[in-house]
Amino acid sequence: SASPAAAQNVEGPKVFWKLSTWGNPRAFTVGVEHLSERLKEETGGNFDLRIFYGEQLSKSRENLDGLKVNAFEAAMFCNFYHPGKNPALMVMTMPFLPIPDFDTAARVRLGLYEHPILVAEMEQWNAMYFNSSHLPQYEFMGGGEAPIELSQWDGLRVRAGGGIGLAMEKLGAVRQSMPATEVYTAMQRGTIDAASFPHTYAHAAYKIEEVADWYTSNLAPGTADCPIVFNKTAFEALPSQYQDLLMSLRDEVTEAYEAAYAAADEKNLPNFKKNLTEIVYTDAQRAAFEEAAGQTVWSEWVEANQDGFDAQAVLDAVLALAAGDS
Amino acid sequence: MAKLSSALGEVEDWLNIVAAVTIFVVMLGTVISIVTRIVWTPIPGYLDVSELSIAIFAFLGVAYAQRHGAHIRMEMVIGAVPERLRWLVEAIGSLAALALVLLLLRYSWDFFVFAWENGDSTVDYEIPTWPAKLLVPVAFAIWALRLTIESIGWLRLALFGGEPVAVPMPESAEDQARREAQME
Amino acid sequence: MNFGDLLAGAPAAIFGIGYQDPTAVGVYCLILLLVFVVMGFRVVVAAVIVGLIGLVELIGFNAAAGSIGQIPYSKSVSFVLGLLPMFILIGFLAFHAGMTRQLFHAAKVWVGWVPGGLAVATVFSAAGFAAVSGASVATAAVFARVAIPEMLENGYNKRLAAGVVAAGGTLASLIPPSAILVIYAIIVEESVGALLLAGFLPGAFSALIYGIIIVVWARFYPDAGPPVGGFSWGERMRALPGLMPILIVIVIIISAVYGGWATPTEAGALGAFVVLLVALSQGMRWAQLRAALMETSKLVVVIFSLIWGVLIFGRFLGFSGLPESFANWILSFDANPYLILFSILMGYVVLGMFLDAIGLLLLTLPVVYPAVMALNGGPDVAAADSAFGLSGPQASIWFGIIVVKMAEVCLVTPPIGLNCFVVHSVRPDIPLSDVFRGIALFFVADVLTIALLIVFPQIITWLPDLMRG
Ligand code: NA
Ligand code: NA
Repeated sequence: SASPAAAQNVEGPKVFWKLSTWGNPRAFTVGVEHLSERLKEETGGNFDLRIFYGEQLSKSRENLDGLKVNAFEAAMFCNFYHPGKNPALMVMTMPFLPIPDFDTAARVRLGLYEHPILVAEMEQWNAMYFNSSHLPQYEFMGGGEAPIELSQWDGLRVRAGGGIGLAMEKLGAVRQSMPATEVYTAMQRGTIDAASFPHTYAHAAYKIEEVADWYTSNLAPGTADCPIVFNKTAFEALPSQYQDLLMSLRDEVTEAYEAAYAAADEKNLPNFKKNLTEIVYTDAQRAAFEEAAGQTVWSEWVEANQDGFDAQAVLDAVLALAAGDS
Repeated sequence: MAKLSSALGEVEDWLNIVAAVTIFVVMLGTVISIVTRIVWTPIPGYLDVSELSIAIFAFLGVAYAQRHGAHIRMEMVIGAVPERLRWLVEAIGSLAALALVLLLLRYSWDFFVFAWENGDSTVDYEIPTWPAKLLVPVAFAIWALRLTIESIGWLRLALFGGEPVAVPMPESAEDQARREAQME
Repeated sequence: MNFGDLLAGAPAAIFGIGYQDPTAVGVYCLILLLVFVVMGFRVVVAAVIVGLIGLVELIGFNAAAGSIGQIPYSKSVSFVLGLLPMFILIGFLAFHAGMTRQLFHAAKVWVGWVPGGLAVATVFSAAGFAAVSGASVATAAVFARVAIPEMLENGYNKRLAAGVVAAGGTLASLIPPSAILVIYAIIVEESVGALLLAGFLPGAFSALIYGIIIVVWARFYPDAGPPVGGFSWGERMRALPGLMPILIVIVIIISAVYGGWATPTEAGALGAFVVLLVALSQGMRWAQLRAALMETSKLVVVIFSLIWGVLIFGRFLGFSGLPESFANWILSFDANPYLILFSILMGYVVLGMFLDAIGLLLLTLPVVYPAVMALNGGPDVAAADSAFGLSGPQASIWFGIIVVKMAEVCLVTPPIGLNCFVVHSVRPDIPLSDVFRGIALFFVADVLTIALLIVFPQIITWLPDLMRG
């Protein structure tokens, strides 16, 4: 997504927006950096979207609360940080959803953001979806004997959140929770056997491959979602040409993420393949995983949430979007 | 005034006891959780619960500490000025603290309401966080009462003089050292 | 000030600056903070008021108050902070476990024969007690009771006896458990385990330097600290079992953090449990346990209040971007990085005259830490490309230990030297001026130690590097 070096295209007043995120600049923040850059170009510097890294404006788990009190105009957050704040978006953590590639994932996420239930969920926090950070599918990386058979997951201590954790419990694995930054040491010391992270980008970011022996490359147990959201009040206060500009930049942001994760894969995969045992499950094995741990977790999730909202409708929407018929 | 202060003091004592007992229970619970994890399997959700329990000992004793003048400050200047001026500065400090705590009370209540109405939970075992969040405005309400009494006490001293009532007498660093030395 | 705008919740209503120059807002608020702290406001109150004023200026009243209302909970309820009460509890329980006398006795029979033997024994037993105590002042208080009488009986110089106790107490903050190291880790978001490991060797190293300087001194002035000898090997062996509980706590904390079989918080709980058992076996009564718990809980709430209060101020600093500007300003000096570091440490000496150690760290780190990290070459710099020969993570830990050691030195220097006050109040017969004079020797040792820690950072980074692999 090479950005054309254009002169100012959009006239408008000076606007200063703060975007709250956490950590250092990395693949995960490439999209918002691209957005900030392009806004500046298109408006001749009048629309200043400044990114505040490292939880300067809010703890990562409190970004929605920050939007609610209008502390900043935009933020990133992850659905699994606080299932209670975004129960409907938790559908994206369901294990073994039929989402095989980036394009399908992008279609599902952006489509889901328009679903009235999800729109209403964000409105509670005075927030509105802009785009996703398009986290890739999770895969496991682990130490010790490689679980090449389904049965070998029984008793393994795994770090996996949300639906993936529940799915692995169905296989007999024991969930261990710890901050991502602790995984390296825990795996080195053998206090956990495996950890799931967005593949390959996050495994590499936490240097897990240095202390692991194997990784799965096609288990695709599920993913999570970390959207980019706007403060609704702030968005509505923008002049319409700025609103249109933001929305017109949405596809570019998606492309920026696609490129960033692909670049990470290109760099990481040769390393992984060289230093670790790659586990490739057969179609039959994957089907067995899905049967043991997929749909059961889905229906448990629907049941657990149906009092709060129409969870079945949300799940159906995801499946329809994934199938491409919506 | 003195009566009111000692009645409030009893509430504060009880809240501090709750906090102290929580620390003790968390200590024992953590030991048990290590043992079960090593010989068998982790207690599901123990981490989440022990994290939420921090709200108990981080906040409930806050008014108790205020009454004992335990919140840290620099006493070098205030200890050196004439008594009447000192009472006045203490009164200003207490009133400012009171205003601030009322504000924190009001807006930490909002934070609780978000969690209560919109939902919020711990990451792993999805335990609701609103009860823990509610402890903050509750503790701050008691703190505000204590600060109200202290502000009145300081103002009375600054304006009319007399015997100190319901205020923590400023402790010089030497006094503080003496108290610490006697702790054994 | 524009009251109309202020009431309407508009930004820039106080100074009329807002986001036109957020750094200036940051500087004004920093000055205001100093004024309030000097006026004797509680540090938590001063920090929150100023944080509020700054945030109102930048983002308006409603957003500022809304943000601030979230911080006490969201910054306190965080798993790592569960460690603080455990460490504080260990210390309060240890007082009731009667460990000090046994420790001092053991140290005496083993090293009493060297010149200044009882003073050296005081240093080593204080270092041992540091392994079950997280607070300097409290450690000095116990040793003033146990060690000073024995030293005076043996004809030791009063100033030496008082000085060694006041200085020995400071070892408690470096050798884990240490509340102040945990606080550093929280503020700079560094691994608590790594910092605790890092404090171990510098603590032992400080004790060694104290010991050496006492021996040298006592060689020149033999009357000031005569050796005490004549202990049989049997006596020495019999003294060892008394050290067991402390050894167990050390092993638990170091092996848990290093070996990863428990989190630091869990290790703290286990350590407190062990000390509780020892205290109970030594006949601790219900009333004492109750007192220990009430004191723990009071200190815990004070520390938590300080943390969230200062982090509210820190949130404002985040919005203002001042730490970044300060770091850039520091980098703009084209001076030797060691000279800049020296100037920063001198700043700590000045502030340390007035502020308590924890307040000192909390108030300065949000601005100073990013600057020091930037000075070294940034958080991700490799050792080879850095100013101090340390990678980003190493530098972060190294500066933590140095700054904590600095804060501890402030506990023994005039005009406000809490450790000296505490010794004087246990022994009113020793004038405060004599305690401060007795400290001079150890002040020299501390300056030497800090210089060596800067020149040989491996003393700090070796253990945590082993853990990080
Ligand atoms: Na210690
Ligand atoms: Na001092």
